[in-house]
This record gives sequence, C-alpha cells and structure tokens, in this order.
Amino acid sequence: MRKNQSSDTDSFAGDRPPADQAIASGDATRPDLPDRRTFLAGAASVLGMLAVSSCSWQEFVQNNFQRMSKEEIEQTVDRLRREYKEKYGKDFVVGTEGPIDATLFGYALDIQRCIGCRKCVYACVEENNQSRDPQIQYIRVLRFKDGDMDFEHATIYYDPEEVPEDGYYYMPVQCQHCANAPCTKVCPVRATWTEKDGIVVVDYNWCIGCRYCMAACPYMGRWFNFKEPVIPVETINTTTHYLGNRPRMKNVVEKCTFCIQRVRVGKYPACVEICPVGARKFGNLLDPDSEISKIIRNKRVFRLKSELNTQPKFYYFFAT
Amino acid sequence: MKPKMLIPLVMVLTVGIIGACINLSDRAAYAQSREYAEEMKEIQAPTSEQEFPVPLRPLPKTITPCRACHGPEKDFPVNFKRREDILVHSNIRLNHGGIRLWCLDCHHPENRNYLLPLSDGKVIEFEQSYLLCGKCHGTIYRDWRDGIHGKRTGSWNGQKNYYLCITCHDPHNPRFKPMAPMPPPKKPWTPTEVRAKH
Amino acid sequence: MKNFIVQAVKRIVIGPPLYYAWVSLLLVLIAVGIASYIKQLEMGLIATGMTSYVSWGFYLGNFTFLVGVAAAAVLLIIPAYLYDFGPIKDIVIVGEILAISALLMCMMFVTADLGRPDRIWHLLPGLGILNVPSSLLGWDILVLNGYLFLNLFIPGYIIYKAYNEKPVNYRLLLPFILLSIPWAVSIHTVTAFIYNGLAARPFWNASILAPRFLASAFCSGPALIILLFQIVRHYTKFHVKDEALHKIAEMIAIAMAINLFLLGAEFFKELYSDTHHLSPLKYLYLGMDGKGRLVPWIWTALVFNVVAFFIFLIPFTRKKFLTLNLGCVLIIIGIWIEKGMGLIIPGFIPAPLGEVWEYAPTTLEILVSLGIWAIGLLLLTINLKIVLPIETGEFTKHSSQERAFAAERA
Repeated sequence: MRKNQSSDTDSFAGDRPPADQAIASGDATRPDLPDRRTFLAGAASVLGMLAVSSCSWQEFVQNNFQRMSKEEIEQTVDRLRREYKEKYGKDFVVGTEGPIDATLFGYALDIQRCIGCRKCVYACVEENNQSRDPQIQYIRVLRFKDGDMDFEHATIYYDPEEVPEDGYYYMPVQCQHCANAPCTKVCPVRATWTEKDGIVVVDYNWCIGCRYCMAACPYMGRWFNFKEPVIPVETINTTTHYLGNRPRMKNVVEKCTFCIQRVRVGKYPACVEICPVGARKFGNLLDPDSEISKIIRNKRVFRLKSELNTQPKFYYFFAT
Repeated sequence: MKPKMLIPLVMVLTVGIIGACINLSDRAAYAQSREYAEEMKEIQAPTSEQEFPVPLRPLPKTITPCRACHGPEKDFPVNFKRREDILVHSNIRLNHGGIRLWCLDCHHPENRNYLLPLSDGKVIEFEQSYLLCGKCHGTIYRDWRDGIHGKRTGSWNGQKNYYLCITCHDPHNPRFKPMAPMPPPKKPWTPTEVRAKH
Repeated sequence: MKNFIVQAVKRIVIGPPLYYAWVSLLLVLIAVGIASYIKQLEMGLIATGMTSYVSWGFYLGNFTFLVGVAAAAVLLIIPAYLYDFGPIKDIVIVGEILAISALLMCMMFVTADLGRPDRIWHLLPGLGILNVPSSLLGWDILVLNGYLFLNLFIPGYIIYKAYNEKPVNYRLLLPFILLSIPWAVSIHTVTAFIYNGLAARPFWNASILAPRFLASAFCSGPALIILLFQIVRHYTKFHVKDEALHKIAEMIAIAMAINLFLLGAEFFKELYSDTHHLSPLKYLYLGMDGKGRLVPWIWTALVFNVVAFFIFLIPFTRKKFLTLNLGCVLIIIGIWIEKGMGLIIPGFIPAPLGEVWEYAPTTLEILVSLGIWAIGLLLLTINLKIVLPIETGEFTKHSSQERAFAAERA
C-alpha cells in the first residue's frame, strides 16, 4: 500500500513521475520540438501507413500525456473536442482533472449481497462509452456454485428468468487497480501507468496496440478495440476525461478507470451508483473514516489471486 | 441473511418490546415519551438532518395519519393478538420474522403515528425507522451506519444520500425481491464461425 | 562502389529459369501479403482470429519460432570461430545471413501484430519512450536490433574484405564474434522471458521455459541450415563439406535430447502435482470442454520430434542424406508447431477467469504471414546471390572492374 502520498500535487500536467524524466529527457528535449516534428515528417512519409490508418497529423505527433506541457494538453483537448463534435455532432467535455490530494482510491464488493443482475455491467458501458459492437464490457459477473470458488467452474453467460438463483453466488470482476500492477510494468512504451490516486489508466493516443498488458493481466481487466468502436450517438456520454471515457479509436487497449471522470470530481463510480443491492463500495483508503477504510477495518476482506502479489485495491468481502 | 438465526434474537427482543409496550399503555407515560422524543431530536439522538442525510418522508403523503383510526378513543382498539383476517391494510402481507412478529411489535400501540420506542422509552418517528430496525438487526444497523451495508449515492468525499432500510426492504416483507438479470455478454468469436465482414 | 552496385544488381537480376520462377513466386506472395496487411490496417485486428481471450496468435507464434532460427547461428559460430573447425568455418557466413533474414522476419511479424504500427515511433528512445528495463518487449527490441547489427557487421566485414581480396583481420573481429555468442543466447532468452514473466499465465510462468526455448531453437535453426546448405551447394559453386553437415546434425541430436528431456520434466511436474497449472497442458494435449483444435497439431509435433531425434541419434540415418533431410523437415515442422502456436495459444487457454475460448488464424492472417515469410526468403535469396560468389572468389573488386571495362568497350 502506498499510503504516504505527497500533498503537493496541485496540477496533473506539471506533475509527472520522476522516473519518467530520465528516459524521456522530457524537459530538455521539449524546446527542440520542431526538430522532432521535422524528423517525424521524414519518418511518416516513409511509413506511408498514415494513409490507411486514417489519423490526423496532430494526432500522429501527439506526445505521451505524462510528458505534455499544460499548453500541449490544452491544444490536444481542443483538437479532441473538435474531432468528437465532427464525428458525433455533440459538444464534449474532455476533462484533465488530476488526482485529489491525499487520495488513494479503493473499492470493495460484498459478494454476500451481489445478486448477479448485471446492472453494473450496463451502467458501466453507458457511462464509459464502451463499444457495443464488438462488445466491450469492463465488468464480468461470474457465477459460482455454492461451495466452490474455482474460476474454471464459473460462468459469465448465465441467463435465468430471475436472479439470484438458488445454489449459486455471484462475483463481479473488473480491473483490480493493483498496487503492484503487472500490466503497467510490461508496457513497452509506458502508455499505461498508475496515477497518484491509484487509478491505472491508459493513454489511448500513446498505446501501440501490442496487447502485452492483456497477456499480463490475471483478471482480464483489459480490453482491446479490435475495430472502430460503435457507440450509439443518442446515449453517448459527453462528459469525459482524457484518461477515462472519451471515445476510443480502433486497435488500442482500454479498461476500467474507476470512472475517473466521476471520481476525480467527487462522484461515485457509475457501478456503485447503479448497484440495486448496495454491494459496491468505493472511497479513499487514506481516509480512516471512509466507507472503504471501515470495511477493511471491520470486515474480513480478501483480494483475488492474492498469491500473485498484485496487491489489488479492489477488495471482496462478506458482510453479515 | 439467515432467517433461522434471527428467530431466537427476534423472540427475545419481542418479549422485551411487548414488556415496554405494556408500560407505555399509560397515556401519561406516552406523553412523557413524546416529550422525550422532541428533546432527543434537539440534543443527542441521530436525526435525519444531523447524522444521516436520509429522505425525510419515507411514507407516502396520501396515507392518512394513523391516529385518525387507531388510538384508545378510536374505532379500533389495541389488539395484540396475531390475526390473518384484517379487513383494512389488506395490501400488507406480513412476512417478517416468521409468525413471531405482529404489527404492534413495531408500530406504537397507543399512537400509530409513531413506532415503538427504544429501550430508553423514546418513541421513534417514521422517518427514523432505521432506529427501530436496529433494535433487532443490530450488526446490520451498525454496518449501515458505517456505509458497509446498504446503498449510498452522491459523493464519495462529500454529501451522500443514504438509502433507508425500508427503501430496499419492505418492512412487512423485507426479503429483497428477485429481479430479471440484464442480458449476458455476447460470446467471443470462435474459429468455427466465419468471421463477419465489417 | 559504383561497380559493385551495378554488378550486384546484375547478379540479382540474372539467373536460371528456376531462379526466376522462385523469385516470381515470392513476389506474388509478397504482393498478396501486403494487400492483406493493408486490409488488416483498414479493418483493425478484427480481421485476425484474435480476441480479448486469445490476444496473441499466429503472428507471435511465427515470431517466436524465427527468433529461435536467428539464435541458432550461434551453433555455427562456436565451432567455427572458437574451435576453429574448418568445415564449418567455411560456411558460417551462410548461417549469419540466414540469421539476418530471420531477424527481419521477426520484426515484421511483431509489427504485423501491432494494432497501431503508425505509432511505432513511440518505441524510439528519446523521441518516444522505450520502457526499459521494465518491459521485456522493450528489451527484446534492443537485443534483436543489437543481434541484427552484429550479424550485419561480422559477415559484412568478411564479405567486404573478400570482395577487395584482402585477408580478414580476425583479431579485429574476435570481440564481435565473442559478443555474438552470448547475444544469440540472449535474444532467445529475452524472447522466452516476454512470456515467462507473466504470472497471469501459468503455462508460460515456469522457469524451464527459457531453457526449452534454447534447446528447441538449437534443433530447428540448424535443421533449416542443413537444408539450406544442400540447396546452396547444389545450385552454386559454394562448397559445403558433408563433414560440416554431419557435425551440425550431431549437435541437433544433442539439442533435441535436451529439448525432449525438458519437456518430460515439465510434464512430470504438472501431471504429478496436478494443480490448475495443468489446465493449459491438458487443453493442448487432450482438449478441454470439448474444445481441442491444437490436439492433432501438438501430437504431430511430438511424434515428429521424437522420430527426428532417433534419426539424428543413429549414425547410420544421420549420415544418409535421405533420412537426414527427412529428419530436418520433421524437426522444422515439429518445432514450428511446438514453439509457435503450441506455445502461444495455450498460454491464453483457459483464460485467467477460467473460460475456454479457442483461436485459429484467419485466412488473412495466414496470407500476411506467408507474405512475411516470402519477404524473408527473398532477402535470403538475394543476399546469398551476392555473398556466395564473393566467398567463392567469383565476384571481387577485380572481376567487377574487368567486367565494367568490358561493358564500356562493347
């Protein structure tokens, strides 16, 4: 657990992990931006791949979000809003809110309560603008037989008239936001990382689509846009975050971000809000009075596949 | 929840509550408790405004004040006997705690506008029904107070809306109702299918 | 230099009819492959058989196999340069040229697997971010490029000297040769570590994986080299002694023995302890939940490998070219299955949350892969067409100049 968070983080843009500076030599190279562009101009013409992958020049040269200056972030957000307006005919908010001070998000799920209704699955899809075809759903609700917690015997395709069913219990699984995340470790270009508030995010514009992170995740928490995502325009959520639910492009990885666009402004994630049985709990692990802290203190909790030492910030518990 | 385990607990508490009710049959005592209730609101007890931001009128406004019919001087005298053939309130099917609970184990026998008092003799208003629930379901009440049991919406670091016990559990028939699940996910492409053209 | 280029182009363009047929076939395959790849870029990776469950497939299978082929050049380098074994020293250059083609094919297969090849510049250190030391894929990019450099430099230098009819300064070359030996081991080890480091995938997360990679690489690569040498000496004046081929075959026998032993060790551990780590093996060899697309393939691979092992073990069959070549073909197919699809796919089955969803390459994937193989083979053909005459002394600075004069006079 990373409990000692620095409290001097006021803005997201100006604050990048120190480890990044060494490799990126970020600040030193930034004034030479035109050089980078000229070089890339040559590279791009050689590649000729731009033509078929239908991406704009600005999109092509866009930097990693962690290395962007405030101005670059503003420009990028403006461009994205223009693109979304053009594509979906709606005005989008693309937020870039940074982590809130002294906050480390944690999640808890009461498997005693969960009835397997999948309302969370669909609330998540709507909130986070997930592709309907091919279908992407960050939450998988596993159904186990009573007395068994073996994944190989579980199913996610149960479809009875009514839930809960006798003789079964349910366990929703989504990104576990591991403190020791195997997925961010393997990314060859650092397109995915853990934010200061513990949320594991992806920069969709930096991801090269190698899917190494998907192979590394023991929870199937990551999804790949195998084609251009299809989102119904009528229900598209226009309140977005750069690292969260803004519309994605084809051939990049995406995942649950605890609804970063909601939680960074104090709201509960969509799955917590929708859960009809109140099985889903969310809050700040660093605040001893938060719901999540009280659960960890007062209930016996467990984390999935704890033998892998991924140290999820997603807890399961059984309340009476 | 395991109803079987609750039965002995409910029995013990029922005996206690009935005992308390008998004490309260004295109107003077009731008036006193009413005053206590007023006092309690202001001084220390958890109120909706103070501790939990709960909806203030959990009962529909259309319901006639209970005292219009019930009360020592009204048409329906207090009857502690469990009956199945009640003409009014036919919409209520009591299925709470097996056969051991009866209306007056929760509703105040003398003044139906209130719920039975806590052991300190202070009556409970409908909008604070959770206090009454907590008398039997103490551990769950504690979890609910801590945000562990039950649902909250709003802001994880600010104003929260609490769902009351009775928002999810009909007090007369508290078991959570089954519901139709949302559709299962589509199965992934498998090599036996021809991959659709896109 | 100008003469060299003119003469080299002439050598590439001119050849017997069989050569034209071969090159035309490759060019057709390349054209089809490129067209398929463009289609894949347009559609997205939905054009492949990969899903969120099996997120790597045929491309990375071929990649893994080819890293092994590239690494196997070391089996020629060690006897040639360190033990000064004459017969192999004469021919080591062909192995290195094979390694170059194999490496380029590796890189093309990884690129084909990328969802966003337009963002490949993100991997460039400085301009982009190469996430080393954290990401094994980052490491693999470094070691593969380093190995490519070594394999361009060492034979490049030798060829340059031969072309100019000057002796090779082995004292200058030795550090690079010595470096290339651990480097060859490292490319395959790092490739194994890409998979090996993932605790989410018990099938790969066994420390025996890297040794098995090396053992199988030292079977398939040299088998390919034996066949290649026979083709080369049949069609060119480049001389390859039987002795060299038999020596290589001997090494294959040892490598295959180790490979089968390691496989047996893995079988024992998984079968006896009988935990859920056994599930991918069960899926691979027996099938699971009524799904077992790989079962016939992996048994084919096992039978081929065992038969080939005995062919290479028994001196009689090892020295007879009919059986030797049969053994080579069996090994190449066997290892291609075992280290390709047989390694990648079961890593994803069952999925970490227990589901069993199968994978098979789509036609498009196969066409793109064939295209990449064709590019690799074309590069190999062209390289050999230039390098072998230089090695045999037919194509030198002197001869180029003579021909240039002759052309001017005419």
